[in-house]
Amino acid sequence: MEASELTGHISRRFDKDIEDLRNNVLAMGGLVESQLSQAIAAIVSGDSELGLQVAKDDYKVNNLEVTIDEECGRILATRAPAASDLRLIVAIIKTITDLERIGDEAEKIGFLASKLAAMDRPADSYRELKTLGNHVAHMVRDAMNAFARLDIEEAWETVQEDERVDEEYEAIQRQCITFMMEDPRSIKRVMNVTWCARSLERIGDHAKNICEYVIYMVQGRDVRHTLGSEATGSETSE
Amino acid sequence: MSDAAKKLLSGIALLLIGGAAIGWIYGRPDTGLLVAALLALVWQVRQLLSFDRSLRTDNFDDFRVGEGIWEQMFSRFRFERDRAARRKQAYRELLKEIRKSTNAMPDGAVILTEENEIVTCNRAAKALAGLKRKKDRGQRVDNILRDPGLTKLLQADDKSETVEIASPVGDGKWLNCRVVPYGADQKLLLLRDVTERMRLSKMRRDFVANASHELRSPLTVINGYLDALSDDEQIPPGWAKPVEQMQGQAKRMRKILGELLELSRLEGSSTVKEEEPIDVVALFENAQQAFEGHANLADIVVNADSKARLRGSAAEIETVIVNLLSNAARFTPTDGTITLTWRSGPDGADLIVSDTGEGIDPEFVPRLTERFFRVDKGRSREDGGTGLGLAIVKHVLARHDAELTITSEPGEGSEFCCSFPTSRVVVSPLVALS
Repeated sequence: MEASELTGHISRRFDKDIEDLRNNVLAMGGLVESQLSQAIAAIVSGDSELGLQVAKDDYKVNNLEVTIDEECGRILATRAPAASDLRLIVAIIKTITDLERIGDEAEKIGFLASKLAAMDRPADSYRELKTLGNHVAHMVRDAMNAFARLDIEEAWETVQEDERVDEEYEAIQRQCITFMMEDPRSIKRVMNVTWCARSLERIGDHAKNICEYVIYMVQGRDVRHTLGSEATGSETSE
Repeated sequence: MSDAAKKLLSGIALLLIGGAAIGWIYGRPDTGLLVAALLALVWQVRQLLSFDRSLRTDNFDDFRVGEGIWEQMFSRFRFERDRAARRKQAYRELLKEIRKSTNAMPDGAVILTEENEIVTCNRAAKALAGLKRKKDRGQRVDNILRDPGLTKLLQADDKSETVEIASPVGDGKWLNCRVVPYGADQKLLLLRDVTERMRLSKMRRDFVANASHELRSPLTVINGYLDALSDDEQIPPGWAKPVEQMQGQAKRMRKILGELLELSRLEGSSTVKEEEPIDVVALFENAQQAFEGHANLADIVVNADSKARLRGSAAEIETVIVNLLSNAARFTPTDGTITLTWRSGPDGADLIVSDTGEGIDPEFVPRLTERFFRVDKGRSREDGGTGLGLAIVKHVLARHDAELTITSEPGEGSEFCCSFPTSRVVVSPLVALS
């Protein structure tokens, strides 16, 4: 399926509805991406104002989710779409839920960043969170790119990327435990770092979900919980 | 009529006449005419079929039976065909050259339709923004570069605006985006790598902020001792005046540092984040009260024409009012008047501070908002100006999408007009009533 194949219905209005819907989802994706990158920047630069701003701006993401959800409902009710159109709508309904969750996690990170900014800062100014954050931000961007281009190869690559994010999260977790054992006074601060890492790891999972919806939308097969073990072209799906 | 056409017509005429004449000899002129006409038809059809065959097989040697007008038509067709092919080749070469040159451009260029769909892009756009020429054709560009700032830029009517977005490829890279309309309904999106420029301007901002911050702490110590000294009654009488002056200058230095910090904070982000509706008239009255009671002050008149509210940061707008008012107060004699006006119209709203003071020489007006610029070097330093007030005003207004217009007539007075766009003005009667 190509992006251009989404259009070409007898009803021009339907084409336009679907195109607008897609554009809105991608605009929401863009907003979430910028929220996430700002939240990461707030941690790295210790900018409490920026962190709080991110937390405050989450309502924009929520508003978009509600708008898109309503629009999906309207299209389902009035157009009764079938085949690839139906898959598109279903995938969009799921995608925006995950995007909204990513927004929530970004809000949480922004809030934690403003707390961390008030505490002692380690010499490396949270380099490990920055690395993990950039990695995850890349995943979200690739997921939205795959959605825009209906590119299942990119989607698969992103799905597999999640394992590396999990490994990095694991490493940060261990590092944090070591810090806490070495100096119990740092527990309060390091707990916040752990929460940040946890949120970032969750964002990676959501990005992975979005990629799975893209594969579902394009190929019509469900690749969830198959652990990415099968290759793109395999026929083993039930 | 060409020779060939004449020849063809006369040939057919001769044939027909000949046929009719032979028929007449045998007493059947009509049969003779018919036979002659059939002969002419067969001859022409044969050539037509041959013409068609040689066109289809593309083999010109097939066209053997052609003569007269057919041959002429055929050679004409051949000539046009060769010319078209040559032209096509030339255009192809030209296109290749143009593509080569656009690919050699260091800036990314993306051709967009009216709906912001990508038509094509050059190599730099691929490298800078991760666009894919084939895959992204027909996609809306803001679906691929999903920065809210870029989306806003593409929808904006003002095409002179630019926006900085983080590049999706390569971490920490910044792209400056600009939209140029061209042709009937096409747009060109230009992307320029401004990473280095952003880094330099950030370095400059950070330097100013850090330097001001570092200078503050020693100044606090000096201030403390000066305060103690001025309260001390045992110091020699000759020292009272110098201590007082030192105190005054230290206070001024603290003010300059404070304003420098404020400026670097304002420069840090391009638009204001707070969007509360501000009651400008109330801010006018606050400022008026703050200034009343000062000695040698001109009359301050508040002129509230509008009940509209302004969306933005109240603290920053208050800074604007206080700065403009203190400037006006310094340059207006005691018997003059300073007028604060708030008015709104269909094109937005204006915040105006005008005075009947000494006015400004027109040649200095464009330079007034420069940092530390002074019209009269000696004088403004004495009366407490820092030289940063109007620079702060300019930055605050830029953050509120507003413009500062200064009109002044030496000896008559000056007018500082801040024009806010309609998007910043709330005229809702509910808000005005509350």
